[in-house]
Amino acid sequence: MSLSAAFVEGLRDILGPEGLVVSLEGRLVYECDMHTYYKGMPDVVALPDRTEQVVEVVRRCREHGVPIVPRGAGTGLIGGAMAPRGGVMVGLNRMNAVLEIDLPNRCATVQPGLINLWLTQAVAERGYFFAPDPSSQMVSSIGGNVATNAGGAHCLKYGITTNHVLGLEIVTGAGELVRLGGKVADRPGYDLTGAAVGSEGTFGLVTAVIVRLLHAPEAVKTVLASFASLVDASHAVSDIIAAGIIPAALEMLDAVIIRAINAGVAPVYPAEAAAVLLIELDGPRAEVDRQGQRCAGLCRERGALEVRVARDEAERTLLWKGRKEAAGAVGRVTSSYLLQDAVVPRSKLPDIMQEMQAIAARHGVLIANVFHAGDGNLHPLICYDERKPEEVERASLANEELLRACIALGGSITGEHGIGVDKAKNLPLQFAEADLNFMYRLRRVFDPHGIMNPDKLLPSHPACGEGFRPLRPSLPAGAWI
Amino acid sequence: MSVSTRSVGAALVDVVGAPRISDRPEALRAAALDDRVPRWVVRPASGEQVAAVLALAAEEGLAVAPRGSGAAQDLGGPPERLDVVLDTLDLARVLEYKPDDLTVRVEAGLTAGALAASLNPRRQQLPMDPPGWAGRTLGGLVATNAHGPLRARYGTFRDLLLGVRFVQADGVSTWGGAHVVKSVSGYDVPKLMVGALGTLGVLVELTFRLHPMPDREGTWLITLASAPAAQAFIALVLDSTLEPMRFELLNAPALQASSAPSAPVGVAVSIGSVEGAVREQGGQLEELARRAGGRATALEEDFWDRCDRAFTTAAGEVVLQIGVLPSVIAQTLEAITAGQADLRSGATPMVTGCVARGSIRVVLTGADVQDAAAFVTHLRDAVHGFDGSVVVQAGPRELRTALDPWGPVEPAAFELMRRLRDEFDPRRVLNPGRFVGGL
Repeated sequence: MSLSAAFVEGLRDILGPEGLVVSLEGRLVYECDMHTYYKGMPDVVALPDRTEQVVEVVRRCREHGVPIVPRGAGTGLIGGAMAPRGGVMVGLNRMNAVLEIDLPNRCATVQPGLINLWLTQAVAERGYFFAPDPSSQMVSSIGGNVATNAGGAHCLKYGITTNHVLGLEIVTGAGELVRLGGKVADRPGYDLTGAAVGSEGTFGLVTAVIVRLLHAPEAVKTVLASFASLVDASHAVSDIIAAGIIPAALEMLDAVIIRAINAGVAPVYPAEAAAVLLIELDGPRAEVDRQGQRCAGLCRERGALEVRVARDEAERTLLWKGRKEAAGAVGRVTSSYLLQDAVVPRSKLPDIMQEMQAIAARHGVLIANVFHAGDGNLHPLICYDERKPEEVERASLANEELLRACIALGGSITGEHGIGVDKAKNLPLQFAEADLNFMYRLRRVFDPHGIMNPDKLLPSHPACGEGFRPLRPSLPAGAWI
Repeated sequence: MSVSTRSVGAALVDVVGAPRISDRPEALRAAALDDRVPRWVVRPASGEQVAAVLALAAEEGLAVAPRGSGAAQDLGGPPERLDVVLDTLDLARVLEYKPDDLTVRVEAGLTAGALAASLNPRRQQLPMDPPGWAGRTLGGLVATNAHGPLRARYGTFRDLLLGVRFVQADGVSTWGGAHVVKSVSGYDVPKLMVGALGTLGVLVELTFRLHPMPDREGTWLITLASAPAAQAFIALVLDSTLEPMRFELLNAPALQASSAPSAPVGVAVSIGSVEGAVREQGGQLEELARRAGGRATALEEDFWDRCDRAFTTAAGEVVLQIGVLPSVIAQTLEAITAGQADLRSGATPMVTGCVARGSIRVVLTGADVQDAAAFVTHLRDAVHGFDGSVVVQAGPRELRTALDPWGPVEPAAFELMRRLRDEFDPRRVLNPGRFVGGL
């Protein structure tokens, strides 16, 4: 499709020549996010540097019925930041300022393009941090974290992004600039902030975020425990939670990942282990010491091969370096993989690990595991060689089967990555028609014209129930495809 | 099936059975909301019956008010209309308690006290302790976004509610959220239900995240000479590595009511952890108290129970919920004191609240309506400058008609709230007129 020259000129008037990308070469990098399977190039990319420009762009797109795709750093894993129908992509990277740091009230106001880690770096010296820590935190933007309601290793204790967002300024799909929530926690009315976090850009574009900051804990302790089997390690995880201990982080790595990291990053983990648990405790020193001992004891009772406590900050950093670079190190093992993000109730970890081994065997695929065990959030990497179509097919089947197995155990199809285009089709596994209808209608409250990030988060062609009155398309069918 | 040719009462009997409906005058008067007396009190036995009642209500254009323990019946504006009071007390089962996952799924009419009794043997808790919590239903607590001292550490229901089944105004049973502690699948519907006063749906089932109880909880009271001294102490704690479990402000009348040592102002702090950490953090707390010019005293274990009893209010008392930034607690206290001087009835406001979150609760006993209204207006003016809010959480109808009990909501945000309400309840079946802006 093509946008009219007049429409594009109008955008240029709003954004200035630096604020608009129209060339094919320029737009190429915007055709996908980190889920490179889904590609869709926007017709233009708008790069606003202030809120007023965002408002103007949305209003113009609304008037012309042009779809808008928001984009942060493009590190998402669900095809959320690609443009399946073309239209205007709005990259918020230039809006990356820290607007206010208010330590007495433990909060900060930032623009959406600010890199997650930069915020913690800005307050670390004074003893504070921003808790959500997705593995991408050195490159992903806070606006993107808000859109996907991102998690991270330490959300086991601290909660995910939504637990740290006090307020938002958004431009809705109707082109209205709205302040939701605020620095003061209690406000009368519906919690629209809570509804907007995790809405994947389908409600509008976020132009400012008020986030909670936490004070750094008194002490941190990282324990490594290695096991002869994934199932033993899974039992240890369940035992720790059942004992009433909520570590800051509780991560698991399997043999494939351990070998890849030891070879590709540094010899970090016991080479002979089939599974490694990284247990991080933080809080008052006496509590950390006591709980560290209890965790170590529980791991030994489950037959741990080795349990050791990081002696100093250097060793602790090394243990985490391995974990955070795991996805990259997997490149040594496989050329391509499907990354799954499903969740099981945490007491079901041993069951799903057994099931996963059976699925891998049944489809003859290698599945590597590195995941947030403490909250049951799995990240199996299903390996395949993309040059072999038959292998791609087997990997895909194993992936679907695994997802269904997680749901059968009472879990969720996504723990922290989101739905995007990737899992929209899977949503009916978890929600009935009435539940989805409620979501369609909720979306329409914020985006009455249906221009915000179309085809994302909800299945595009639902079986329409009584409750859902479908929107009339604002343009002839197929106009954008 | 349309029942317009028959009596609605008979249709309700078809839906829930005669024993679950009451239209006796005394029962109806007892269920009245302000001066609106319902035509029926219906007590469904299941979520399916709730759905059937609402489907009928929507078809017949009836107004429905869901009711739990009845503790928050005078929150919000007086209802525009009222036909059916939907009593949820028979929806009181624990449906699925999974201690090893630290989650529980319950029916919405279960009381928080009954849930606590199920969780205590495993030393687990749903950490939610507004005054009188034990007798209140979980549905009512969620719908009113109630919170108490434990908020300092565990947050509010927005941090604890994982999943929710609710019946929409047209009788459609709907589920949102998840049964697991981590999920970002679909929109975060549970957030919308917290504090919505049942206007988007009647809560039927709730799935909560639970927390382990700490090995031990130690409590200290820091007594201080003035509001600024209290502010200084609060700032020191917030800027430290202390992790209070409860962090509660008490003014002189509140200290007296809870049988605590008397002082112009007190801050009660509890530390919940292993024995050694409670001792160490207690020591640090005493040091910070000294630096702020205050005095720390260790309190007995039953202090929080005494507070719960002392701060549970009776019908007719005025309760205000103030939201401000933690950095302006002293100014807010001073504004309360200034407002108190103008109260002709000589009533003394009792002030408590979670200072870590800037949440302040004021109980005003014995003030007449005109006095109370002037007091609220004075406080709203005072906190307006720092983006605060004052909600009349309880009080006589005359007070809640003399002024807007919710206070102002930013127009653009309110417009979205209005659209949301219109989308899901265009016929205004659920609690019409009671929520913000008369929604």
